[in-house]
Parts: sequence; structure tokens; C-alpha cells
Amino acid sequence: MWKMVQCAVQGRSHIKTDIPCQDKTYTLVKNGVNVIALADGAGSAKFSHYGAERITRFICDDFSENFDSYFAAEDGASVKKELVSKIVAELDDLSKELNCSLKELASTLLFVAVKENQFILSHIGDGVIGYLKDNDLKIASQPENGEFTNTTVFTTSKDVLATMKLIKGNIGDIQGFVLMSDGTEVSLYNKREKKLADVLKKIMSLCLVILPQKMEEQLLSSFESVIKQATTDDCSIVLMANDKDSFPGYKNLSNVEKNKLLDFRVFVSKKCLRRYDEILKGLECERTLKDISRIIHLKPRFTKKHLDKLLQLNLIEKKGTRYHTIIIMN
Amino acid sequence: MDNNMLLRIEDLINNPTPRVPICLCLDTSGSMGAVEGDCVETGETVYEDGRTWNIVTGGTSRIDELQKGVEAFYEAIREDEMAVYSAEICIVTFDNKATCCVDFANIERQENVPELHPIGDTAMGEGVNLALDLLERRKQEYKDKGVDYYQPWLVLMTDGEPNGNAGELTRAINRTVEMVNQKKLTVFPIGIGSEADMSTLNKFSPKRPALKLQGLKFPEFFAWLSKSVSKTSQSTPGETVKLDLDGIKGWGEL
Repeated sequence: MWKMVQCAVQGRSHIKTDIPCQDKTYTLVKNGVNVIALADGAGSAKFSHYGAERITRFICDDFSENFDSYFAAEDGASVKKELVSKIVAELDDLSKELNCSLKELASTLLFVAVKENQFILSHIGDGVIGYLKDNDLKIASQPENGEFTNTTVFTTSKDVLATMKLIKGNIGDIQGFVLMSDGTEVSLYNKREKKLADVLKKIMSLCLVILPQKMEEQLLSSFESVIKQATTDDCSIVLMANDKDSFPGYKNLSNVEKNKLLDFRVFVSKKCLRRYDEILKGLECERTLKDISRIIHLKPRFTKKHLDKLLQLNLIEKKGTRYHTIIIMN
Repeated sequence: MDNNMLLRIEDLINNPTPRVPICLCLDTSGSMGAVEGDCVETGETVYEDGRTWNIVTGGTSRIDELQKGVEAFYEAIREDEMAVYSAEICIVTFDNKATCCVDFANIERQENVPELHPIGDTAMGEGVNLALDLLERRKQEYKDKGVDYYQPWLVLMTDGEPNGNAGELTRAINRTVEMVNQKKLTVFPIGIGSEADMSTLNKFSPKRPALKLQGLKFPEFFAWLSKSVSKTSQSTPGETVKLDLDGIKGWGEL
């Protein structure tokens, strides 16, 4: 089973000029296929946000229907041709609906589709596709920019086939995939060293243990407050994490597993773990510091240290003066 | 501090800001000392830059106005949130020879604009070739250091006819035209005053005619240039940066 999380935020320059967010993301689980997709609409193309939205949905649908035949095809070039012709046909339909030219719908496109132990990924234009394997973040596909930073290849470009990347393989030890647009690249991809930011590992592992809705909320809030401030461009990301051991919920973890999740470098006493058990259980309903301090029979200033640790680990959230557990408990 | 965050500032990678390399290739030949406005002839003459000039007192010289314009350009870039980190300016002057007065660097690391002095002939070809060499070298430095960059800009300003080496001039024109046609360079040839050789300037610009500056309206030109740099530094893939050429029609002549 794969857990997915996504977000897209309007860039500061588009807020200023009242242009909609041209980054679009989409995820789909259908017919046993898990698909994530991201598209970044071309800057000057008037309807590129529609093109980006349509093409992410289309590619997810298409792969949920045709994964097996694509995977079985020996000749990658013919699969690329087939995909590009389907993409262009889809955009052509949309251009008729919107009464605009095909170029007005141009976008980049990044996607990963997984079925059982097999995956296919593809990339047109800039942005990055990365994956986590053996706890090491690696690059599957780098940005395809021209010589200059504000040039790239789009779904409607003439040279799309020449630069499109298409990769298939077995999942094996792959723990997760990440797609990001060029706006997000600024903060989470080291262009010089061609490496992804380590924090993506943390996000992938949190994907497996945090309530999905809370995960999306925290990701969005991080993007609005942090990622977006480093660029004027729209920013987006989609992640999928492999939950192959199926997280059983905090309450069902062994002490060793709890120790690891709570990021203790040495094994702590059962008494200490029990304190965290009580806090997390107590915070299944929203409570204040005083409330939880009473529950665990510890002075508020000591209780706060434990709460700060749990906040730092993103296992609880704080809204105003109230705390709340966001880790999956059962 | 907001605690409900998956990402914190310390988690981010600090990539260098993509750069816009701009080379100002400026005529500092003797004719740039020509004075406009209220002035009085002293009766003395001097032969320079291929002709005889009357010495005057009062008025404003072209070079003084150009100096003020370049300084205002620096100021405008410094005040722009995006351009201050992305613009990298280099100044090449040409008179009897071509000189790199200010090498490429981020504007915050550059000192004040050096004083420009009018002297000698108009070695325009040599000036443009040096400017193109410096742009190429800077692009290579960006590549070596993994810094993204936008299409470079070359601003060529002159008030007269080139009288340097003819072969160098032809080479400069051919190199510029080839780069512009390959979308590797944006060029702005600007004629100053009524004696600027517009036909030569036009040869540098295969896609649009050279502009003739009305009078000494340098401030308007450099204000427009800094706004255009700012716009470019915020452009994203697929975004055609439309340089607002209409905006400069008010003071330029197409």
C-alpha cells in the first residue's frame, strides 16, 4: 500500500498579477495502480493552468487503465510516441472546449505509476523526480532546462519526444517517490550537487504515520510559510511513500519501535515511554498544557518539554493554546 | 514560531539566485564630451575623434549625462527586491581602445560607477568584441559553478561613427548577429545625438531597429532598463518576457 500527499501554492508574482496557480497535482488509486502526477503550466500561456490540470488527471486515468500494456512494451520509444500523441489529443480536445490554441495549454509533466512491484515514471520539462531507496534520496530525473533558466520543454513543444524521459523497473527496496516543480526545486533540490534536501526523507516517513488530512494541512502550511518565500514562482510537490510494513498505529508499536519513532538515540526507560504514551493518548482530544499536565501528573514546565519534542517530531499539533495528537494511534 | 510545520527554514537548500548578466558597452570617445544646452564658445578648437571641435563653457556634456544615467541604473537595481540579487553588470568602454572598467559581479559587491572621461577615437568593434568575450567568460563561470542564468544582455551606446579597426567591427557585428539569431543574446544598440551612425548600429540588431535617444534622455532609458531587468529576473519557463518597447518610444525614436 502507498500513502500519498500533495500540495500546490500560488507564487508571489502570480498573486501580485492575479494569475492563477499554474502548478497542478493529482493522485489516483484505481485498478491496483497508484499514480501521482504534477504539471507546471507555461508562464505566458493564458490557459496553462487548465492544460496542467487536465493533463495530470488524464495521465493518472490512462495509467490506471493501461499500466500493464505500457510496462510490457519492449520498445520505450514507441511508448513515448503513444503517450505524446495521447497527451496532444487530450489537450487538443481541451483547446476546442476553451476555444484557444494548443500552445495556450502548455505545461511540464512529471508522473510515477506503481502497480504491485513494478513502476513507470516519466518526465517532460523541468522539475525533479526523486526516490528514496535504502534510506538514501536519489534523483530519477533531473530538470530539462535549455541553456537559460527561463526556458524548458513542454507537453506541446516540438522537441518533446527528444527530451522526454521514460523509465520502468521493479520497486524492490524503493521506499518512496517525490515529484516537484521548478518553484519547489529552489528550496528542496541542490542544483550544484544535484541532490535532494534531506527533509524529504522525514516527510516520506511521516506520510506513513500521520493522519492524511493533517499531513496535507502541515505540508500546505509549510509551503505557504517557507517554500513560497524563497521564490516568486508557483510551488508544488507530490510524494508517495511505500507502507509495505503497514503502520499498525502508535498504540500497537513495541517499545523498540516507539523508541525509534520518538527519535531517542539510546533506549529510554519504560517509565519515560509510558509518559509519551499517556500524552499522545491524552491528546486524542484537544487539550491545553494544564490539562495534559494534570493527566500525566507532571509540572507544566516539565510537561511542556515533552510537548515541544512531540511538536518538533510532528506527532502532535498546536492550535492556539490547545494541543492535539496527529499520529495514527490505532 | 509556528509549530505545525513539516519544513523549517533550516531544512531548505540555499541555491544561488539565477543571474541576468548585463554588459554596458559605452562610447567614451572624444565626441562624448560634446556639450548641449546653454554654452558659450571660448574661441579655442581641438581636433579629436576624427573632427575639429569648438571649446565651450557651460552646458551639459553627453558623457556627464551618461555617467548620471549609469549611476541611476545602479541605484534602481539596488532598490529592486529581485534584481539586486540577480543582475550582474559589467562596463566596457571604448575610445582609442576597449577597456573593461567594471568586471561582472553582483551589484552589492561592486563599488561606485567609475568616472567616465571622453577621449580619443571610437573603437566600437574592439569594444563589442571585448564585451562579448566577457559575457562568454561569465556564462562559463556560471556553468562551472552550477549557477542558473538568463539570456545575457548587451547595451551598446554610441554618439558617432566607428573609426577603429574595420576587421574588428565586422567580426563584432557578425558575432552579435549570430548570437541574437540563435537567441543567445539580447542586444540594445542606442544612438546618442544627431551624429550617431544608426546604419552601423542597425547592423548589430537583426531583430529590431536600433533606438535613437531623444536629446540626452539617459535617465528615462536606464529607468526602463532596470525595470526590464527586474521583469526578466522573475520570469519562469515558457514566459516570454515582453520588453515594453512602447514604453521607451516616448523618448526613443524607432
